[in-house]
Amino acid sequence: MDRRKFLKASGVAGAVVGGAGLGFFGYEAGRDPDSYTGWKNREGGFQTFNRIKWAVDKPTYEKLGPSRRVDARTEVVFSRMGPLFRNWKEEEGTKSLPEYLKKYYDANPEILELDLKVKNELFPKLRKDRDKYGDKFILAEAWSDAMGAVWPEHSKEPPEIADFPERKDRKQLKMKSPEKTSKLIKKIAHQFGSTLVGITKLNPDWVYSHPMRRRGLDTDKPFEVPKHWQYAIVVGVPMSWDPMFANPNYGTSHDAYAISRIISVRLSTFIKQLGYAARPHTPGTEYDLMVPPILVDAGIGEQGRHSIVVTPELGSNFRPAIITTNIPLKPDKPIDFGVQDFCKSCKVCAEQCPSGSITKGDKVEIRGYKRYPFSPASCHNFWYSKLGNMGCRICISVCPYTRKANWVHKAAFNVSAYDPTGLADKALTAMQKIFYPGPDPQDYFIPSLGGKNASYRKPPWWLKTEDFIDL
Amino acid sequence: MSFFTSGLFWFIQGILTTVIIMAFRAWMEDRNVIMFWWKWFLFGIWIILAGFTIAFIFTSLGEGESVAAIKGGIIFSLITTISGVGIWRLINKKN
Repeated sequence: MDRRKFLKASGVAGAVVGGAGLGFFGYEAGRDPDSYTGWKNREGGFQTFNRIKWAVDKPTYEKLGPSRRVDARTEVVFSRMGPLFRNWKEEEGTKSLPEYLKKYYDANPEILELDLKVKNELFPKLRKDRDKYGDKFILAEAWSDAMGAVWPEHSKEPPEIADFPERKDRKQLKMKSPEKTSKLIKKIAHQFGSTLVGITKLNPDWVYSHPMRRRGLDTDKPFEVPKHWQYAIVVGVPMSWDPMFANPNYGTSHDAYAISRIISVRLSTFIKQLGYAARPHTPGTEYDLMVPPILVDAGIGEQGRHSIVVTPELGSNFRPAIITTNIPLKPDKPIDFGVQDFCKSCKVCAEQCPSGSITKGDKVEIRGYKRYPFSPASCHNFWYSKLGNMGCRICISVCPYTRKANWVHKAAFNVSAYDPTGLADKALTAMQKIFYPGPDPQDYFIPSLGGKNASYRKPPWWLKTEDFIDL
Repeated sequence: MSFFTSGLFWFIQGILTTVIIMAFRAWMEDRNVIMFWWKWFLFGIWIILAGFTIAFIFTSLGEGESVAAIKGGIIFSLITTISGVGIWRLINKKN
């Protein structure tokens, strides 16, 4: 064989080997656990998105008029269900309820109907189906319970006591500059395991007008925002990726909730040791404020159609906690990487939501701000319409931004973020629907409600009960 | 990190690509086809498209997204094939 023929033969061989190599590369990139962004990284290496490039002066929500703070006693579903079920007498109707709750339900009879449905219809059906089909989810439930087993308790004292250092002789140390303190706080938060960290000045509009229970606050009186709540630090981590894709029944919020809670308690302690006030606001229900808009203000991400904040690194798979503090900090800027435009045309979450809680329509004015309406009551009802772990999280799983950080999804992200025409968003949405379809939303329900106990994707091998336990 | 996502892998891929380009050049010379810059440009585009198709299919399989692998494979293979025929006709012109 002469040299020229050898060269040509080498070219053919190179094409075959190179093509095969790309195949192997693709397969490895697809299954590589390192592309599960943010999981167990303690150095902040995953907060890679260049936020400065996308920084904007104003957040991507729009203020339309006078605002109203959320009354957590009634507008937060977890707060009102307990008093409702404890006090409700069918024959007396809303008269059997505390005055504030009566007033709320009288003004919102459709929400009362939805809330009562949990007790009257969903619980009995769920119990029946759990006996029949529940064994399949034993490992998932055990794993979720285990993740939630480490759960630091919060102080039951009010902010003026609980937020300050326990040692009264602890002096406020003089910090050199807000910039340096912010840098330090972020590094420490990453060291505690936080995937993302952001800082903002606290907007009082986001603090509940009447707080939730168990926080050392008088829930019957309007809540004055404490003066020392000057800044809000956002911390948080993603949920484990494989179970998260197998929502609504195999995934759990407890894993990321517990970690975010631990991080926020640690960071609060760290700040208190410097002599400043700090208060953690954490999952599950120990908040005195609304979390999503604070994430937007702190440049963590943008609020999507499903009301959850979409981050550049983790998509919607981010479970945050907040620390309110008075240590002087340099706030971050909000970011705009195109989520508002994308959500306008995408609607995948709304189409996949089994309870129809996410709108397919446009934004409306809510409490003085323009945003997509969302029904927490019907969302919460679905939690009792399916088996497996508590909650749903399907909107997080199906969000096109919630994807592994491999070359395919990184490329799609950049195309969407940089395209000013909106054409790329439309093309990517179409590809999302064609390439990554989910089950019929009705299939997510329990069989007694006409479903098939479906999950968005198959569970990871280590949560398949039937492979490990004789049922 | 496995070998296939390492820097060494891309180094070897670079060598292979160079060999492919040199072989293609020799082949076209033997066919008496002059390779203008725009022909090289089209050839490069097609190579990237073909590489994208292969990598997309296997990345989707690695992610466990078999529907994406099948549907994406069909769609992108069709695009690669059709564009390959068109690009070949343009490149293969003798002047």
